[in-house]
Amino acid sequence: MENLNDTSISKLKGVSLLLAGSVVVCLLPFWTGQYYQQIFTIAFYYVVLASSWNLIAGYTGQFSLAHHAFAAIGGYTSALLVTRFGFPMWAGILAALSSSALMGFILGVLCLRMRAIYLAIATWAFAESVRIFISMTYEITRGDLGLAVPKIFLGEGRGVACYYLFLGLAAATVFMISIINRSKMGYYLRAIRDDEMAARVMGIHATRWKIFSFIISSGTAGIAGAFYGHYNGLLTPVMVDFNEMAFIVIMVVIGGIRSIAGPVIGAILIEIFTETFREFGEVRMVVFALAVIAIARLYNEGVVGTVRQFGQWISRRKQARKDVT
Amino acid sequence: MEKQVNSLLQIENLAKDFGKLRAVDHLSLSLEEGEIRGLIGPNGSGKTTLINLLTGVYKPTSGRVYFSGKRIDRLPPESITREGIMRTFQVARLFGDMTLLENMLIPAFTQGMSKREASHRAKELLDFCVLGGLSHEPARNLSGGQGMLLQIVRGFMRQPLRLYLLDEPFAGVHPTIKDVMIETIQKMNREEGVTFLVVSHELTIVRRLCSRISVLHGGRLISEGTMKEVANDPRVIDSYLGG
Repeated sequence: MENLNDTSISKLKGVSLLLAGSVVVCLLPFWTGQYYQQIFTIAFYYVVLASSWNLIAGYTGQFSLAHHAFAAIGGYTSALLVTRFGFPMWAGILAALSSSALMGFILGVLCLRMRAIYLAIATWAFAESVRIFISMTYEITRGDLGLAVPKIFLGEGRGVACYYLFLGLAAATVFMISIINRSKMGYYLRAIRDDEMAARVMGIHATRWKIFSFIISSGTAGIAGAFYGHYNGLLTPVMVDFNEMAFIVIMVVIGGIRSIAGPVIGAILIEIFTETFREFGEVRMVVFALAVIAIARLYNEGVVGTVRQFGQWISRRKQARKDVT
Repeated sequence: MEKQVNSLLQIENLAKDFGKLRAVDHLSLSLEEGEIRGLIGPNGSGKTTLINLLTGVYKPTSGRVYFSGKRIDRLPPESITREGIMRTFQVARLFGDMTLLENMLIPAFTQGMSKREASHRAKELLDFCVLGGLSHEPARNLSGGQGMLLQIVRGFMRQPLRLYLLDEPFAGVHPTIKDVMIETIQKMNREEGVTFLVVSHELTIVRRLCSRISVLHGGRLISEGTMKEVANDPRVIDSYLGG
């Protein structure tokens, strides 16, 4: 009974924390300036990318290095359809979802029988090909000069509207991944990650589920990329620069891989840090690299895992004191 | 491809080569529904390779395997499982980051069982095997013997389970856990009619558990019969029991 109460209390604490966090995030635009609105808008974009990458890397164990490329595929698909063919923006965004999911499917079929380093190299090569293709096809994409993209929301309240748009997108992604994680699919993906052969002899069609998770993950990145293009108003091949992928990996690892909250916390922390210390340029990447090494070496469950562990330690101490008295 | 056969499992001229090494050498064997068959042989005799061939982990070089009259030797592991065949591995292969209960749910989910139904059966089985108290622990925290036991009971989540291939389930396991394993195997055989093929070096347990025993040596079946029969077979004495 006591255990049940402890579990209920812990769940209640979790829900309260989530509610408090949601209220703060929803009200944030009313007490921050435009600058922080922008930082958080971009942070939410990275929440989508980091969470969807966590689905494939954290939950399925497929270390893909092409996630930023799927965002770029989505971004350029929507931008080109809207600017060159006069598609309405919503249709461009839907096409972005389809194109990135389709590319995810193709890459999945080609690469997902590969393991570990081979998968990482193959997906990295794919991402580099996308970057070079965008740079070279100047007539279509305007290459390194950048492609001007019609902006979503215009007028005075644009910053706030975009803030809520990306907040909604991030919330929807986190919700979707949390549903997947609790579903049978979530069990299958985790089983595949832990031991693919054992999963197969349990009756799991490993390749099918890996491809499915790749499609979901790349499609989500594609939508995020499309919205990002219409938010930013300009797309360049920098979107497919390896640094972008490195940022996504860093966000997930620092926040806590294999957890729902990890990529959310990681994306927000890293984005705030990056913007705050913008003047230090590439030195920030060195700091991130050191942080990743430290986390991988000392505590590989990231910030979320550390906080959880700390909470458990406090509870144990409280319990010990209670037992003594 | 269907074939009219009387046995539950029929292996015909099965061979597996690894380069120049022939691990299984034109082996023919059949298993009747409801029996507990022991499979013994010295190290390197091809026992584990045979299990890997029967479960689709390896593709045979030649030969055929029929299960309930259906040819299964070219099927992938997940399709063979769907036919009602499960296996364990020599070293317990659990989903370490998942809890014991979650480990148990996986095979039930793959056959479309609901979470409620699967959890109910999982709890019953875990309680029977005295692992119930650990059901919310991550599987990586289990001892070697407990891991082996979990690996065995996880297979019973598949219903109907028709054939269970156990690869060295008793190796390095504490006698108390061995007793629980034996009890579980006998219960599932008696109550649910599961057929077993048990690979083991522990002849005492094989004698206690199995009505018939097949002996492999050099990838070939060299003897078959009751423990008394195979123990008196000069080919077995030469190759395995060492006189």
